[in-house]
Order: sequence, then structure tokens, then C-alpha cells
Amino acid sequence: MIEPYFSMNLFLDFCVIGILILGIWLFRWPNTAKFGNLTAAFALTCAAGLVLYRSGTLYPYIVLISLVIGSAAGYWVAKKITMIQIPAMVAFQNGAGGVASFLISFVELMRGAQHLGPVNEFFGLLGLTTGALTFSGSMIAGGKLSNKLDQTPRILPNHTWLVIINLAAIIALIIAALFAPSGSQIFLYILIVLLSILFGIIFSIRIGGADMPVLISFLNATTGLAAAFCGMIIENKLLISCGATVGASGSILTYVMCRAMNRSLFRVFVPLETSPQEPAVNNGQTLTADPVEKEAPDQTRDQSSEQTNLQKTVELARKADKIIIIPGYGMAVAQAQFEVIDFSNKLLSMGKDVKFAIHPVAGRMPGHMNVLLAEAGVDYDLLEEMDAINPEFKDTNFSLVIGACDVVNPAAIETDGSPISGMPILLAHESKHVVCCNLDNKPGYSGVENPLYKNDNTIMLLGNAKETLQQLLENLSDAPPAIEEPSEKSHLDAAITALSSAKKVIIIPGYGMALAQAQFKVVELASILESMGTQVKFAIHPVAGRMPGHMNVLLAEAEIDYDKLYEMDEINPEFSQTDAVLIFGACDVVNPSAIEIEGTPISGMPILTAHDAKKVIVCNFDANPGYSGVENTLYENPKTIMLLGDAAATAKELIDALKKQN
Amino acid sequence: MTNLLLMAGVFLFSFIVGYFLISRIPTLLHTPLMSMTNAISAVTILGVLILFSVASTRTEQIIGSVAFVMAAFNLVGGFAITDRMLRLFKKKEAGGGK
Repeated sequence: MIEPYFSMNLFLDFCVIGILILGIWLFRWPNTAKFGNLTAAFALTCAAGLVLYRSGTLYPYIVLISLVIGSAAGYWVAKKITMIQIPAMVAFQNGAGGVASFLISFVELMRGAQHLGPVNEFFGLLGLTTGALTFSGSMIAGGKLSNKLDQTPRILPNHTWLVIINLAAIIALIIAALFAPSGSQIFLYILIVLLSILFGIIFSIRIGGADMPVLISFLNATTGLAAAFCGMIIENKLLISCGATVGASGSILTYVMCRAMNRSLFRVFVPLETSPQEPAVNNGQTLTADPVEKEAPDQTRDQSSEQTNLQKTVELARKADKIIIIPGYGMAVAQAQFEVIDFSNKLLSMGKDVKFAIHPVAGRMPGHMNVLLAEAGVDYDLLEEMDAINPEFKDTNFSLVIGACDVVNPAAIETDGSPISGMPILLAHESKHVVCCNLDNKPGYSGVENPLYKNDNTIMLLGNAKETLQQLLENLSDAPPAIEEPSEKSHLDAAITALSSAKKVIIIPGYGMALAQAQFKVVELASILESMGTQVKFAIHPVAGRMPGHMNVLLAEAEIDYDKLYEMDEINPEFSQTDAVLIFGACDVVNPSAIEIEGTPISGMPILTAHDAKKVIVCNFDANPGYSGVENTLYENPKTIMLLGDAAATAKELIDALKKQN
Repeated sequence: MTNLLLMAGVFLFSFIVGYFLISRIPTLLHTPLMSMTNAISAVTILGVLILFSVASTRTEQIIGSVAFVMAAFNLVGGFAITDRMLRLFKKKEAGGGK
């Protein structure tokens, strides 16, 4: 490219960069940010004009048509999308940016054999890789964020090795492409793109819903880098500059998100493989001091008849938080897998944590049990391998053994010299209670007596597993757990009393509020409180939404005055002088365990210190732990008032009650 | 070579300036920020324009137009959604406490 007015061009380039910097600079204040956004858009328009003016275009129609299609689609989506879908939209846009980057790098590399220097070629290859992996990674992230894909981490066997091998292959191909003769390069380029796309996929699928904010911030950075690499190959300073700025921004946001969740970037991307699904849950359950369990052994000791055993099991099931089901081949023989699934669904619908522990030899061939359960329609995310689930038993309220014997026989590890000594087993005996739905209490194939059957905390439900489960299910459904109504009412009254006498109220919105679409009601509630002369502030935790700053957008949509939105560090000292805190759909971000207890997944995570306030009103859907799986000790605090159920409905009840009072 | 150094300089300069500017942006605006920087990364649209400034084969034209559509989607969509979001950030002059 000939640049006759080198210095002039350079000057104009820097002017455009300057305008862009001005735009970002204006982003520092909410009232100027809108202008900053338009300034940045103007800078890019100038840049495009500059490039068109300088190099012209040979294909005006292609440019025009593509521009119209792309812009129309972008504009249409931007108008149509709701604020809660923003993270998914951002992820998909990231993907589009990635596609553009790697396609440009690809074309330039194809053309470039003759005039590209090795350095340009190298950056072109980096652009190719980064763009392609950003594309596929963003698509996965977008899919997970928009619930089109399952949010749980999907972990492949030897996942870390797959990632490493894939990365190594990409690096090897990049090196090969640098030295390959120009004829064969194109195949290497295509291969690099394909492998990078694959890399993006396997890299992102194992990142769970809770870590999405980190992933999309990270992908934001890589799109920027891809654009910068793209600029290196065509030696365009504007591309490099803009790309680098975006890269910096994405890096900062990634760091902010990691810090807010107390995760290292490395651990987000490379989770511990020992208990792949939810290492968080075990730790969480350790903290649950479950008072119910202490009296339970007494109940089980004087077992008299099948019927009382059945009742006890139902009672256990109702009180348990965490249940592990251990299916054995006996279940398959009794054709009880459908009843097992019904039972587990019932438990899940009651908000219990249910998992299936699959022993490697639970079926009659490798993976057989998984197939049998899959046939019955189990969600395969619930199926856990032995090594993954074994550490979880000790935190489990009860294990339900169905037609399994040897695989849960503690004699395998407790006694030497028996036929099964040394065989790896599922550690069901470590759970607080064990319920066995076996046909009889005879030994299994190995012929070794199972001492588990005689334990104090074991309940034996002998007979046909299918019938036993049907009875359990019936009893579980009949049982009236509804003592909630009256207590809810008095809780509401308590909350109203607390709110109407409060001088200062802080509202803590969480993602649950956004899910319940309760932000409008919450804002209305805030204005009613203000009209009563109460001072109201909103405390926004950095990870309150699904991407950095998401909660602020959601509240802004509900027309809140942004002066009332306070960052964590700013508001934390104020809680101790606050009369009442209203929590809507937030859990982990107000969990005092983060600062009070060592060794939980959230220990050290900065939280909103709501527990310092005089009264805490929790308007959450349920009292279950949040993403981290750590029980929220705030819920048990005597000054806490729990208003469970749909947040929007709760907010409405509060509004109505307050209005009535005035 | 000078060109290469200049490019590296531009990269570093932008990264550092970007870093300092962006670390000052309040968390309140992080979502619009991300969405705007996303739109800025659609600067690759310049790359496509440069691509089309010289004679291209049919394949290159097709790839180029796909890239153009994507970049335009990102560019316009990104700025539009950011604008929409930022319009939501309102300050009530009357009534609202400062």
C-alpha cells in the first residue's frame, strides 16, 4: 500500500484514536456515558470513512449490501432484546466479532504469501486462532446464558488433557504454517481454524453457569486481541489501537469478576477434576448443622414393622437436603428404574439435592446402569461416578440403596481377606442414614455378609423395590408440608412493622429478582418507602447480575435514579446504621459464611454486610443455597425475617400492606 | 521495521491508556462498557474495507462479505444496545434524594 502523505495519515489516525479515547473517557460518569458511546461510534465511523477515502473500494455493492444486512440485523436485535438477555446478546456479538476477525485474517493470509513478512504472517495466524476460538467459545457462552444449552459444566473424560493436546496441536500447526510452502498453507489455515473452533468449544463447555461472567469478560478481551492481531497483519493502526483497548477492557473486567467471586482465573477455566460436578456442594453441606439428624438415630433403633420403616423413610426424605440414590442391578431386575426416577423427580421438585451414585460395576457391562437410567429418562447430569461422589457421602442426609449389595459393602474396606477386600465401594455407610430397598438382606454375588444392613442408622425396606418405591412416593406426596401459610402471614406483618418504623433502608437486589422480573415492583416499593420519609439506598454487589454491571442496567430499566445505586465498598460501612435491609433474590453475595468461616468455596469473597443491619428481610424464592452451594447463615439469624416465594409477589404484598397503613 | 515498531508502540500505548481509562469506570456502567467495547472491536470492519480495496477472487468476495455482515452486526448492534441501556440510566432531578 502506498502512503504518499505518511505523516498526514498518521496524524489523522491519531485524531481518530483521540476521539475514541475521549469517548471512553466520557464513560466514567453515568450522565456523560451516553455521549461517550456516541463519540466512540463517531470515531469508528470516521475511521471507516478514512479508510474508504484512502483506499477506495472496488466492490461498492458488496460493501453496501453487507452493511445494510449487518446493520439492520444488529439494530433489530438491539431494539428487540430485553435487558435480562443482554449477557447472551453480548456473547453472540462477541462471536460475530470473532468471525469477522478470523475471516479477515484468513483472506489476508491466503493473499499474503508474496508480500507478507514473517511477523505479519505470525500475527495473522494468531488472529485466525483467536478469532475462531472466540467465535465458538462465545456461541457456547451465549447458548448457556440464554438457556439454550445446559448451564452445568459438561466435563469430558481427561478434559484437561484434551485442552492441552488441542492447544499444542494449534501451536504446532501455526509453526508449520510459518514454514510451509505457499501451496499447502491454505490447508493448514483451514485446519487451524477448525482446531481453534474445537478448542473454543471444549474450553467453554466445562465452565458452569455461575462462572459465565468470567467467561464472557474473558471472551470480550479475546475479541479485542483478535481485532488487534488482524490489524497487525494489514498494518492498520486503528485496528491495533481499538483492539488493544478492548483487550485491556476485557482483561480488567475479567479480573474484577474473578475477584468478586473469589475465584482464580485458572480455577474457573481448569476446575478440579476430582469431584467435577459440584465440589462446592460438599463443602456447603458440611456447614449445615442439621439439628434434625441428632434425634434421628433413636427413631431408627426401635424399628418394629415395615410400615413404620416406611414412615421413617418418608420423614427422612422430607427433612433431608441431600440424598444420594445408589441403584444396583437388583433395581434393573425388578424393573424399578421408572419408579426410581419418579421418586427422584419428586425429591427434586421438593428442592432436594438428589444425585445418583453409579458404581463402575453397577450394571452388567461398563456403563450399563447409565443406559438403564437414561432409558427411564434421568437427567444425566445427576449421574455421578464413584470417585466423584464418594467424598460427598459424609455430607449426605441419607443414601437410598436400591437393589445393590456388594458395591456398598463396607466389609470391602474394613475387613481383610474377604473376597471383596480391596474392592472400591460407594461409601454409603458414611452418610447419616441409609435406606436399603433390597429384595432381601442376603449377601450379594460375593457371598460376603453386608454389615451395613445391621447398622443403627440403616433402615431396611425389604421386598420388591418397585412396590416399595411406589409406597414411598405415595406417602411422600400425601404428606402435608403446608404449615407455611400462617407463618408466612406473621412474617409479612413483622416485615411491615420493621419497614414502617425504619429510618434507613438498604435494598439488595440479586439475580433472583431479575429472574422473577421483580425490579419494577422493587423500585415501586422503594419509592413508597421514600414517600414515608425513609431513606432508601440500593447496594449493588459486583456479581449481582450475569455480567459486570448487569444489575445496574436492570434497575435503570425500572427507572431508578442511579444516585441511589451504591457499590459494595461504598455502602458496606453503612449497614450497621441501617434499620432494615431488604434482600430480593440474592444469596451468596450476602452470605456471612464468606467472611466468618474458612474453607468454604466462598470464603474470602467480598460480600455485602447485610447482617450488620438491625433487621434483615429476605424475599427469596427459597432458603436454598445459591450457586456456591454454601448454606446462608444469614437465614438462621434471629433478626432475619424470611419471606419466601416469588419476589415480585412478595414485593407486591409489601407494597399493598404499606399503602394500607398510610 | 520502523513500521513494526510503530505498530507495537500503538498496541502498547492503546493497551495502557485503555487500562487506565477503563479501570476508572464505575461498576455501575460495566455492562454498557462491555457492550460498547464489543462494538469497538467491530473495528475489524476496516479490515474488510481494506480487503475490498484490491481485486478479489470470488471466494474472497464471499468470505469478505460474510465478515462484513458480522462486523456490521457487531458494530451497529453494539452501539445501539449500549445507547439503549445508557438511556435507561436516569437521574430524577425532582423528588429523588441526592
